[in-house]
Amino acid sequence: MYPDHLPLRENLKEAHSAAWDAIAGPGDFLTGNARVDVIQTAREALTCAFCDKRKNALSPNAVTGEHETDSELDPVVVDMIHRIRTDPGRLTRSWFDEVTRVISKEEYVEIVAVVASSVIIDTLHNALGLGVPPAPLPRRGRPDGQSNPAAVDGGAWVPILAVNQEMADTGLPNVPNIARALGLVPNALNLFFGTFRPHYALKDIPLSISQAQAEFVAARVSAINECFY
Amino acid sequence: MLLRASGEQTDKTYDLNSVTSENLDSGVEHGDWLRKLTEATIRGDWLTVGEVRPQAEVEMGTQKVVDALTVASAFNGITRVADATGIPLDSTTAEATTEMRDTTGIQQFDYGAKTERYG
Repeated sequence: MYPDHLPLRENLKEAHSAAWDAIAGPGDFLTGNARVDVIQTAREALTCAFCDKRKNALSPNAVTGEHETDSELDPVVVDMIHRIRTDPGRLTRSWFDEVTRVISKEEYVEIVAVVASSVIIDTLHNALGLGVPPAPLPRRGRPDGQSNPAAVDGGAWVPILAVNQEMADTGLPNVPNIARALGLVPNALNLFFGTFRPHYALKDIPLSISQAQAEFVAARVSAINECFY
Repeated sequence: MLLRASGEQTDKTYDLNSVTSENLDSGVEHGDWLRKLTEATIRGDWLTVGEVRPQAEVEMGTQKVVDALTVASAFNGITRVADATGIPLDSTTAEATTEMRDTTGIQQFDYGAKTERYG
């Protein structure tokens, strides 16, 4: 996915290729076709006039209209993807409740994982001046419907991974809540963190920048995206 | 909030308000370049990224610029996971950062507050 001249680590390049390959196949609740459609739908959100109008409104609920889309996904899912892509800082519990009246929480988690993974890959490509990579070619196959019945209510909108918590020397639990967030669908969790992991570490970051520089970048991203976590 | 922990581990002082205030010096080495690269990247301003990247490479080196963009792209994804799942702060973080969240303005991003604000 990346030209050889860029100083990117091999494990990152391998992780991105693996994520693209995984998204192309059937997930637990979506077909490969639908998962690739999720990538395309997230991309088209960036040029959607309705999303632009909503992003600039005082409240996301203050405007009405229709998304510009070629997606074959349910309109509620298209709206979900466009909002996560273009206005993630103003997602709310009541909005989530509306969405999950139409799709299951398991489908929701899988879509979040695909969107967020593709955001990482597309963002890095664009930032390096490469333009986004071609979407993967979907593979046939049926979703196997596998979720995690042991997921627990941890105060999030969705059930999260159950873990025995211990404190790490980072001052955080050994498994921070964010690493549990997609635990309702283990393959979704694996997809996202397989993509994310080569980019960052809580300590001894394996990059040429210092931990403090990495945290400063991370904190600025969180502030711009209005992320509380 | 991990920037605070980094400062504690290295005995350096970082201005946490620089995270939410654009005109403050963070105290982080090459903080201005990191800020410019990050902001243009997360706002999807690829023209500006293309202008800033080679300048930053002269000051920081290509590898560090690429690695900064690597971190920025990762957090552009993971913030969406957090925001779309309403994941709560870890209890130790919540307890240790109450005052800091208020002074930096991060508390306004609390998921409960957003629901009250936007419905």
